[in-house]
Formats: sequence, C-alpha cells, structure tokens
Amino acid sequence: MGGVVLVFDVLLAAALIWLAWQATHTPGLFRAVISFIIFGLLMALAWVRLEAPDIALAEAAIGAGATGALLLSALGRLAVTDEAGTPWQERADLTFWIPAGLALLGLLTLAAWYLPSPGLGQEVQASLPDSGVQNPVTAVLLNFRAFDTLLEIGVLLLATIAIWSLGPMPMPGAQAIISPVLPALGRILFPMFALVSIYLLWRGSHAPGGAFSAGAVIGAGGILSILAGARPWLTGSAYGPWRVLLSLGLSAMLAVALGVIVLGQPFFAYPTHLAGTIVLLLELAAGLSIAMSLVALYLAGQPPTHWDGESLRQ
Amino acid sequence: MTELFTVLVGLLLLNIVVGLARVLRGPSAIDRMLASEMFSTSAVAILLLMAFILDKHELLDVALVLALLAALTVVTFVIRVWSELEAPKSDNDPGDTLK
Repeated sequence: MGGVVLVFDVLLAAALIWLAWQATHTPGLFRAVISFIIFGLLMALAWVRLEAPDIALAEAAIGAGATGALLLSALGRLAVTDEAGTPWQERADLTFWIPAGLALLGLLTLAAWYLPSPGLGQEVQASLPDSGVQNPVTAVLLNFRAFDTLLEIGVLLLATIAIWSLGPMPMPGAQAIISPVLPALGRILFPMFALVSIYLLWRGSHAPGGAFSAGAVIGAGGILSILAGARPWLTGSAYGPWRVLLSLGLSAMLAVALGVIVLGQPFFAYPTHLAGTIVLLLELAAGLSIAMSLVALYLAGQPPTHWDGESLRQ
Repeated sequence: MTELFTVLVGLLLLNIVVGLARVLRGPSAIDRMLASEMFSTSAVAILLLMAFILDKHELLDVALVLALLAALTVVTFVIRVWSELEAPKSDNDPGDTLK
C-alpha cells in the first residue's frame, strides 16, 4: 500500500504545482480563477496528508468557498471580453523570476531544515489542562497566543473599514436569467450553513473547528443569501445596529485582555477556572465578527443605509 | 477493506488529474466550471474515504464544509459570470466569450 500512497502524494504535488502555474500564467482570467479555486481544493487535501486537519478545514472554508465567490464576482464585474489576455511570456521576466523563485525555495528549505525539531507540541500538550479546551490548536489560538489572534481580528476589521472608505458598494446589474430556483436555494441552504457553523464553533473546543472556520461558513451563507437577492442590512438603521458585530470580536478580546488585569492576572492570562468559558465566548464573538467581515468584504464597498426598492435586484 | 479504500482514493485523485485537461482545453467557461464542480465532489469522496482509512473522524467535518461550499461557487458563477455572459449577446449565438 506504500506504493499507492506515494503515487497519491506525487500526483497531488504535481497537480498543485501545475495549477499554481496555470493560475498565474494562463491567458484568460476565467481559467486562472478556476485554476485557483481547484488549487484551494487540492491544497485542503494536501493539508490533510500533512496531518493538519485544522488548516484543511480553514482552507476548505475560505480557499474553496469564500475566495472562489469573491474572485468570480470580481470577474463578473470586469469587462467580459478577455479571451486573449496577456500571457506572461516575456523572457526577461522569466530569467528574473525563475532564479528568484528557486532562491526563495532554497531559503525556505533551509529555514525548514533549521526549525527546532520537536517544536512546541510537547509544551502545549503539557499545559493543555490549564487552557480550558481539549483541542491544542484552539488552546494556542485563543489562550496561549491570543494576542496574535487579537491582531488578526484587528486586521480583518481594518480591511473592512478600508474597503468601506473606498466608496459605496457597486449595485449588481439586472439579472439576465431570472431563476425561481435561486431564492429557494438560499432559503433552504442558509439554515444548513448556520447549523454547520454552530456545530464547528462547538467542536472547536475539543476537535478541529473553531471561530475561523465557523465564521467562514456562516459568512459564506451570508454571501449566498446576498446572491439570492437578500438585502445586505449591515448599515441599515431600520434593521438595528448590526455593524457593531464587525468590531465585536476585537472589542471582546480587548475587554478580556484588559479585564483579567482587574482580576489580578497579567495581560491576557485567563484565570484557570474561567478559561473554558472565556475561550468559548471569545470564539463566539470572533466567529460573528469574521462572518460579518467576510460579507462586508464581499460587498466591495459601503452598503447604503436606506433602500428604495424592495429587493436588491429589481 | 482499507486496501480497497486506499486504491479508490488514488483512483479518485487520478480522476481529478485527468479532468484537469478539461480545465485546460475548455472550450467554454461552463465546461471549466463543471470540471471544477466534479473535482469538489471527488475531493469530498477522497476526504470521506481518508476519514475511514486513517480513522480520523474530523475529516468528515472537512468533507461537510467542502460539500456545502461547493454550492456557493457554482451559484456565484451562474449569477455573476454566466448571466453577464449571456446578457449582451442575445443577437449573436449564446456561446460565451470567456475562454
């Protein structure tokens, strides 16, 4: 059976390299986008082979799902006639980039070679009982290295603010094919997205899952319902202060980080008996923020505060 | 049984690699999109088989997420790309210009 496994790994690696080449060098943007979507799909399989199911889950949720929707929507907004495109064929470019790529590969190999060989896995396992969760990845993300996660959530909020500051969201044109399937699909599938998202959030405390994948799944559900014609009510005052959710993750993490100081702990050091509850609440807050950020990023601009028509596409 | 599963996983990946020819050759955007959807389905099958070969049940969650999100990609394609292709070309043939 070792032979089959080897063939599998070689095929996977070769397909990944070929797809990466296609995604960057193919003439025609649609082919590049499709290659990138398939690249994300196979990358999830590669993470599974590397025994990193947490990253495989995140890659499946963000790489194959949300990124695909973002890229395809961007493509739909561009001029559609790009059959020829401009393939990247100048020799001068290749004579620079092939050695540069090989040099980078060499440096990365060197860096991987000199990594401390047992890593920090032992230490994480040893202090796992203090973290309040059973999944080492969640323990690192939201307890031991929660400061890094705080900054990541901050980056997401910053990206949303930057995109909204660029201007109002572009309104999609009238749909050429009016299908009754779509609203029904949105209505039936959205509860599935919500259910899977809650499940992943709950699983995060003892198995792969957690805020990032849960947020990505429910965010993808939000994108689906926007595609199906729902109004993005993020800024609408008539629908309540939903946009507060965008900053909920960051503010909750900051509140916890500073709040534990009042309890006599150092910055971001949770009291052991409260750690489980704190991690779960932070996951909930971060997951909601990530979902809202994904939807906000997908809108590609600030949604209007008032809607004239009944639906987005009239 | 595990041996059979391992061979099946290899065959499914081979299926994807052969199917990449459809992405390369097209000829239309729809062919490429459908090939990508076929790969999603194959990847779900590969993940399910791997979950039982390696006895890692967290891979079932990865398969679940992948299966759910494959719908999003194809819905985006139909609404945002395909309908844009069809709309301005009603007098010509309904083929698409995206290659």
